[in-house]
Amino acid sequence: MFDEPYRWIDAIHQRREYISAQLDRVTPVLAVSIVEGIILATFHRQTPKIFELYDRMALAGVGHPADLESVRGHLLSMAHVEGFQRSPSDVTVERLALFGLAPRLKGAFEDIAVPPVILNVLLAEVATAPSQDLLIQVSYDGNIFRSASHAVLGADDESREKTVQLLGERLASHPATLSTALPVMGRVLFETIYSPEELGQDESGNLVDGTKTAECAKKLFSERVWEGVLLDRRDPGRVRRIPADPGWFR
Amino acid sequence: MNPFDRLYMSGGGLPAPRPGYLPDLLRGYLPEPFPSLNSESGRAALSGAVHGTTILAFHFSEGVLVAGDRRATASNRIMSNRVDKILEIDSSALLAISGSPAMALEMGRILDHSLKFYRRSQLAEISLEGKLRILAQLLKDNLPMAVEGIGAVAPLFIARDGDAVRIYFYDILGAHFEGVEFSVGGSGSPEVQGILRFLDRWGDKNLRSLTREEALLLSLRLLETASYFDSATGGVGGQDPVYPVVRILTPQALETVSDEQISALYRSEVMRVR
Repeated sequence: MFDEPYRWIDAIHQRREYISAQLDRVTPVLAVSIVEGIILATFHRQTPKIFELYDRMALAGVGHPADLESVRGHLLSMAHVEGFQRSPSDVTVERLALFGLAPRLKGAFEDIAVPPVILNVLLAEVATAPSQDLLIQVSYDGNIFRSASHAVLGADDESREKTVQLLGERLASHPATLSTALPVMGRVLFETIYSPEELGQDESGNLVDGTKTAECAKKLFSERVWEGVLLDRRDPGRVRRIPADPGWFR
Repeated sequence: MNPFDRLYMSGGGLPAPRPGYLPDLLRGYLPEPFPSLNSESGRAALSGAVHGTTILAFHFSEGVLVAGDRRATASNRIMSNRVDKILEIDSSALLAISGSPAMALEMGRILDHSLKFYRRSQLAEISLEGKLRILAQLLKDNLPMAVEGIGAVAPLFIARDGDAVRIYFYDILGAHFEGVEFSVGGSGSPEVQGILRFLDRWGDKNLRSLTREEALLLSLRLLETASYFDSATGGVGGQDPVYPVVRILTPQALETVSDEQISALYRSEVMRVR
């Protein structure tokens, strides 16, 4: 069936379309490097998307939960075996992404005889200073995107760039602090999940119906669960969970 | 099977590791964490294996104090006077090691990594019983080295259990028991054990009533006593003083007593000349 090159290329196109359609409605994960460390935040409906990976590192994924669990298990094993055999300082997200994840995701994507992996991944590594923090995204086809100050893990390049721009505009300075960045991230997620019409905004983004915003805020917490995690620069051995403030969503 | 699993697990041929159990994963990547060296050449190579210690742990009014000397010996040679034998494990437990440091330090690393790996992979803290079993399994795996007389390890494990802190001692086969008031280990431990028993039974105060200052002073005097009788237990030398490691685990915190505090007590209360 796939012995002719154009059939294989056609199958890859169809596979890409299928995966994009599956990822289309994911709620993004936002990551921002701040003075205190790196914040990762999102909302989920059923299963968590943000996890502690290793000392100084966290993992986030959007897509199918079973695929996320497979990748999480693989990276956890790789990081801990590497950290034990050599040193925790030898474990880096750069090596995990480049040598542990990207080649395997690419291989899985191009093996069209088996079901696809529906997953985009973000790896975050906190350093001693914000300028050295690293955010690496690996997409379902093995492509890699690097960021330093902030990143958005979403469905595709278009939605990612749009939200990255919005996040960059709202964050007043880099590096921001926990108290200033977190409300911004919550609000950007809120506006990503609900359309301007649902939020009671006009075409220019001005609020015209506050009751709709209040309804969305109420629905947000009844239908979804907040996930906020800080990779703390001062205590990098364990991630800290950060609760949401309903005031961000009024 | 998920294609991702199929791709990264190909070529292993090993049984699937138990969920959250790091030593199984390590076996897949290492020849054997604790190989047997049951041969003449192996024993000859390790005839100078390092051992000798005094470690102790006892309850006092705030929690548990754990202390250890700093000496490592190989036969009649002093290999080091700067060994830290009280290892912090995952910020909620302490492992005090006696026996072969090579094996004991490796066990400490495996245990530390295992607890973190369990927490991160299973998304839950492992129970105290689970921690005790991992250490017991590591000791059991080390049995060939122990019976050959070159790699025996008999640690103390001190861990939080809800609002309490508990002391456990192990034998070299992995059996573990709770030291209700205190536990000791190493070649210098007989004297210390006797003194602790005497003080807890007939002293002015039992051990659990001691204040932090009283407990700290007692631990330093006990280690000094052990070093007087046991050549494998290090004392505090006069020219280049290296002080014992003392750590305190309470239900709320884990702290290391500073060298400054220990040195002040040593000068005023331990090394005083009559």
